[in-house]
Amino acid sequence: MGRAQYTIRRVLQAIPVLLGVVTITYFLMEAMPGDPVSIMLGPSPSAQQAAAIRAKYGLDQPLWLRYLNYLWDVVQLDLGTSLYYEVPVTQKILERMPVTILLLVSSFTFAIVTSVPLGIISAQRRNKPTDHVARVVALLGVSTPSFWIGLVLIIVFAYQVSWFPATNLVLPWASPAEVGVDSQLDVLVTSLHHLVLPTISLGTLQMAALTRIERSSMLEVLGEEYVKLARAYGVKETTILRKHAFRNAQLPLITLLGLQLTSAIGGAVLTETVFSINGMGTLIITAINNQDFALVVGTTLVLGLVFVVGVIITDLSYAYIDPRVTFEDAD
Amino acid sequence: MSEPLLTVENLKTQFFTEEGTVRAVDGVNFEVNEGELVGLVGESGAGKSVAAQSIMRLVEEPGRIVDGTVTFDGKKLVDIEETPDGRMEESDEMLSNREMREQVRGREIAIVFQDPMESLNPVFKVGAQLREFIELNRGVNESEAKTIAVDMLREVGIPEPEARYDDYPHEFSGGMRQRVLIAMALACEPRLIIADEPTTALDVTVEGQILDLVSDLQERYDTAFLWVTHDMGVVAEICDRVNVMYLGEVIEEAEVDDLFHDTKHPYTEALLRSMPRPDRSVESLDPIKGVMPEAINPPSGCRFHTRCPEAREACKEFHPEYQDVSDADEAPHAVSCIKYERVGYEDSDPLQTEATGAFAGGLADMRGDDDGRDPAGVPGGEADE
Repeated sequence: MGRAQYTIRRVLQAIPVLLGVVTITYFLMEAMPGDPVSIMLGPSPSAQQAAAIRAKYGLDQPLWLRYLNYLWDVVQLDLGTSLYYEVPVTQKILERMPVTILLLVSSFTFAIVTSVPLGIISAQRRNKPTDHVARVVALLGVSTPSFWIGLVLIIVFAYQVSWFPATNLVLPWASPAEVGVDSQLDVLVTSLHHLVLPTISLGTLQMAALTRIERSSMLEVLGEEYVKLARAYGVKETTILRKHAFRNAQLPLITLLGLQLTSAIGGAVLTETVFSINGMGTLIITAINNQDFALVVGTTLVLGLVFVVGVIITDLSYAYIDPRVTFEDAD
Repeated sequence: MSEPLLTVENLKTQFFTEEGTVRAVDGVNFEVNEGELVGLVGESGAGKSVAAQSIMRLVEEPGRIVDGTVTFDGKKLVDIEETPDGRMEESDEMLSNREMREQVRGREIAIVFQDPMESLNPVFKVGAQLREFIELNRGVNESEAKTIAVDMLREVGIPEPEARYDDYPHEFSGGMRQRVLIAMALACEPRLIIADEPTTALDVTVEGQILDLVSDLQERYDTAFLWVTHDMGVVAEICDRVNVMYLGEVIEEAEVDDLFHDTKHPYTEALLRSMPRPDRSVESLDPIKGVMPEAINPPSGCRFHTRCPEAREACKEFHPEYQDVSDADEAPHAVSCIKYERVGYEDSDPLQTEATGAFAGGLADMRGDDDGRDPAGVPGGEADE
């Protein structure tokens, strides 16, 4: 009935989803051709060495037992040891995850901050020049791949005019000494400066899609009877936009935000590669290239978790904005 | 008699669509006196909702008020004049959009829409919505507005108004929501409430309760009402005076008893004959033949001649004058039909129309059956859009 109950239920529903993610990734990886041991030991290893490695990583056990062992380890938050880096997978992920999250947060912030006003203006001045410009921008944004935008941004803004750096991303939590500046504030500024190009590159697609949704949902809400009623009671147009229409119009936007997390994670892999950022994306690519079994399954699981958390947050914010959601769900 | 509270003169509202100009309201005249309950009746697509919304200048694109004057308590809500070079322009006296918003909407004239399910914002609490409009239109602070809102909810028969104040619209039934909307209108203490088919979406029993409530409140608050409806039964129940609309024009206006017992216009007569009544079976109902023509291209002469059982050749030629035909000692009774003019109706030959039986069972009837959509095709032309 209440929001708390709804929240708990949505969180519990995530468990089978995550189990599915682990299982599918585990068996897909298992089905891939190639032998990790031979990659580790190079060409023509001795049978003894190979057996020792297999025993060390438990590769000599039957598949079902390895799978169950892995599940048990996952429950204990142990994702195994990376064959390539030879450190625990969790350590590697904890090191890389914040970078990718930083990238996702900054690109989503960019997307939301630009798309909401753009969509509203577009809806308000429907079929006027502003609207046409906004729609063309949105259309271009939706149809341009993020890595291409990244490359063009680098060529123009990093090499031609040198306004923004294209590599060596500075993290906002790095120490001033590492970066070579005086204060933590300077680190932050440098970091933001570095983030500009990757953010635009990754955020453009989200921005464009969100603008389109914002425009159409705003238009729909502005045609609603309760908006007409507010107008009939002498409410100012700006108040109608800001108060009576705004909240309702954000519902489709929130749905889309949650779904876009998948494409954004995919885009992050490409963007990190283009801008040589050491995040989860580059980690996954290294893991796949080296058949680093534990690392592939571990990173996929964590990104799956990010997505599931994103969807839960979407559902919850839906319930907080629209009082009908919790209510109807409970009946 | 003193000046009417609301006077509508020659009001014309048109919709500029791709198919052509829809003349939804085409030269409408009527008035509402202080404390009076006036009906505006007509079939779907007659233009009554558009007329009602034009008074508050709430008509949306592609619709536009193109001519006429609407005077409310001396203020010109609409005042469009022809300039010397033949263009239609807003006069200097006509209120600006800002004045309209700050002085008239909600404060002097409030409106209740047809669909109570759509009229309240689903994401805000009912009380907060009431309070906002009261604060805005009564110039009171938040806590005073809340007191007024709760009192008004009690007044319109919402049980436990203090508790219901914090409920969301989806927690109310349709009838209860319409009570909330009536409370909203009354709480702003306007002098006129436009009720745009407020009971059409409700069950008949609930409709009855709402009608009782309105007549009761109307007596106590002495607010004038303009009641837009297609239901002659509702008109008989609550209205003092009635205007009948057909295809963008008011064709008859009289006090409610006069209209029912001394009907002048053949359309009104047909409308009354088509009403289901307990003393008649469904078979003996006499529906109006044919469908209302498109408002894009209204018929020549009298607009009703294509469906009129009494139509004659002259009806095609002459557009009837809308005039008072009552005797000097009677209440005014205006009608627009050439039967009451000396333009040769008596000598004219009967016209073969859908209603006079010439096409009975033929093309016209079939058209009438399957062409059920809103004949005017006007966005917002009827409240169900």
